[in-house]
Amino acid sequence: MNPALAAVAIAILAGAVAAVFVRDARVAVLALAVVLLATPFLADPIAATSGLVARLIGAVLATYLLWIPVRDGAHPTGGSRLGWAADALVAGAAAIVGSVSHGLGAPATGPAAASAVGFALAATAIAPLLTGRDLVRVGIGLSLLLQGAVLVRVGLGGTPSALEELVIAGATAALGGAIGVLAMAARSDGTGGFALAEELPPRRRRQTDVRPDPRPAPPSEERS
Amino acid sequence: MSLVAFLLIAIVGTTLALLARRWERIALTIGVAGLAAAFAAALAMDPTTRLEVGGSVLAASSYLRLFLVLGTFVGLVLALIGLVAGSRRDAPAVTLGTMGAAGLALSLPDARIAVLAITVGGMLGVLLTIVPTGARVGAGVGVRDLRAVVVSGAMAIAATAWIGRDLGELVAQPVVFGLAYLAFALAVAIRFGAIPFHILVGRLTDAVPETGLPVLLAWGPASLAIVGLAWVDSSIAPLPVDVGPERAVVVAIAVASIVLATFAAWIQDDLEHVVGYSIVGDAGVVMLAFAALDPAAWTPGRTWILAFVVTRSAFAAWAAVVRHSFWTGRLPDLRGWAIRSPLLAVALVVIVVASIGLPGFAAFQARSDLVDLAIDGPLQVLVLIATLAPILYYGRLLALGVRRLDVTSAPAVEWRPRWTAMDLTDVRGSAMRLVTANATIGITLLVLVLGVASLLTSIGAFGGPQAAAGLPPVQTLPGETTP
Repeated sequence: MNPALAAVAIAILAGAVAAVFVRDARVAVLALAVVLLATPFLADPIAATSGLVARLIGAVLATYLLWIPVRDGAHPTGGSRLGWAADALVAGAAAIVGSVSHGLGAPATGPAAASAVGFALAATAIAPLLTGRDLVRVGIGLSLLLQGAVLVRVGLGGTPSALEELVIAGATAALGGAIGVLAMAARSDGTGGFALAEELPPRRRRQTDVRPDPRPAPPSEERS
Repeated sequence: MSLVAFLLIAIVGTTLALLARRWERIALTIGVAGLAAAFAAALAMDPTTRLEVGGSVLAASSYLRLFLVLGTFVGLVLALIGLVAGSRRDAPAVTLGTMGAAGLALSLPDARIAVLAITVGGMLGVLLTIVPTGARVGAGVGVRDLRAVVVSGAMAIAATAWIGRDLGELVAQPVVFGLAYLAFALAVAIRFGAIPFHILVGRLTDAVPETGLPVLLAWGPASLAIVGLAWVDSSIAPLPVDVGPERAVVVAIAVASIVLATFAAWIQDDLEHVVGYSIVGDAGVVMLAFAALDPAAWTPGRTWILAFVVTRSAFAAWAAVVRHSFWTGRLPDLRGWAIRSPLLAVALVVIVVASIGLPGFAAFQARSDLVDLAIDGPLQVLVLIATLAPILYYGRLLALGVRRLDVTSAPAVEWRPRWTAMDLTDVRGSAMRLVTANATIGITLLVLVLGVASLLTSIGAFGGPQAAAGLPPVQTLPGETTP
């Protein structure tokens, strides 16, 4: 394996594990930034300058938009309940699976390291996506999943074209912006920080909301 | 260059409107103006445009042009209705961005880039979930919507990447083709909120205003479905591999969505939920196009998508105006609505005819063809009948409309034009008062316009079936021979 690609792959994996493990939202966003900034370099050959610059700008923009709601450090994120070692093992196991199944049954035109890291990022994203109870943690999981899918695509199909790099950059920045806006909205509402609102039980029947209902409302039902 | 002009207007307009979202009026103005400019650019689009950008081909088509013309027109009308009936400051920008993403995706022959573009458009939609009061709840709904968008995008990216290369030396079992097909079909189902992925639809209908629902639940997912149909037709359908089990799953999703979502819409007491589940029910027919796995489903599938998105947009606009007019969306409180606002009743009847269709309508024929192609045996007749079942919830709405009012103190509804004497010393003030006094009748007329547009689309008057029969763009650079 190309040593440079291996170094980039290790940096991405370390960033991903740190992003899902830590509880300080600022550190989590900075760790995610490592993933976003290093991912464009995990290709062989590396994308043309225009595409690469677009990816880096997209990564910086996404990081900045995520940084805005967390920069004061007032609210933590959930972090991993399993510990960094478990997250690292999950990422490592998925990377091995991705590496040995490179091409998925047909010759691939991209590097095996991209497939390996793509699988690892997707596996690392599962816990935040399924068990995340705050916006930053779920958002980090979504970013890792998107980058993982892009890396699997690079591993299978080779280096993306300049237009595709531009669209990937747009997706990276748009996702960062969407998470940032949602996180700002959540933290501006009450004292719960980035926590998701509690799930209410399903509403069976909504009470009248315009004219007085002559029937007495059952006490157990929610009044909207 | 008209395709490039459309994309530039959409991208720049969306970016500026979102940057200015702190200033509500400016953001709304930029968004609405952008939609109007995008509509003009779509009208002026040359369907034969082909150009190379960044190593990829962008190719316009008649279908792309019609999709964008209808999308920007409907988006513009929904934005205007939203200005009166209540919406979100980001709604025009999100609509513009979604249309821009759809324009880029449908002009790209490479499905790998197209699904990425549609995913970007879907991400914008979460802005509509942020509720001014109760932002945490809205953000929770938004992040779940975002999760659906990204997960479906990742599935579609993986599926298209696996087949989007030379498979001449394939050593994998053919079942992998079935898994790729299933992954893309599930991605489309997740975006539409098809059953069993419908939980999000209920939450979105609670958080997003009615005029924003079509963009999130219909137009954005529809563009993914169009890309998916092209990909399935070119990559999966021609292969001599057995994808029977995967196809059965897609058929089950389609039938469950058609039947259960229609039932859910029928029993709902909240108008916005009726709108949401009606979209899911029609999306089930789109899933039938995936289940058909037959090139013959290409034209009816795309014809149905056009009719479905316009009709559901008109229905959502109708629901928004009903809520604005009667200050409620709860059905038991809407007794007598048709008597109190006859224009809204006319609009709903037009929408019902467009939605259910009549024999000879392009949408009716397309839906029948899709059922024929996707389902065999006795189930075919049952599903065909089920596709007509929306008459149940429409009938409920119309029956409520002609029922006698149970409360004599029900507020009067402004549905007739009101003319006031012009004060020449205060022309601007007089004009504003006139506009304000006629706001409700104005948006009611806009719903009627949307209803007529949906009827014409359903009939096929805009050339939908002919445009839908066109081939998808292919990956050839300018100067090369088009296969």
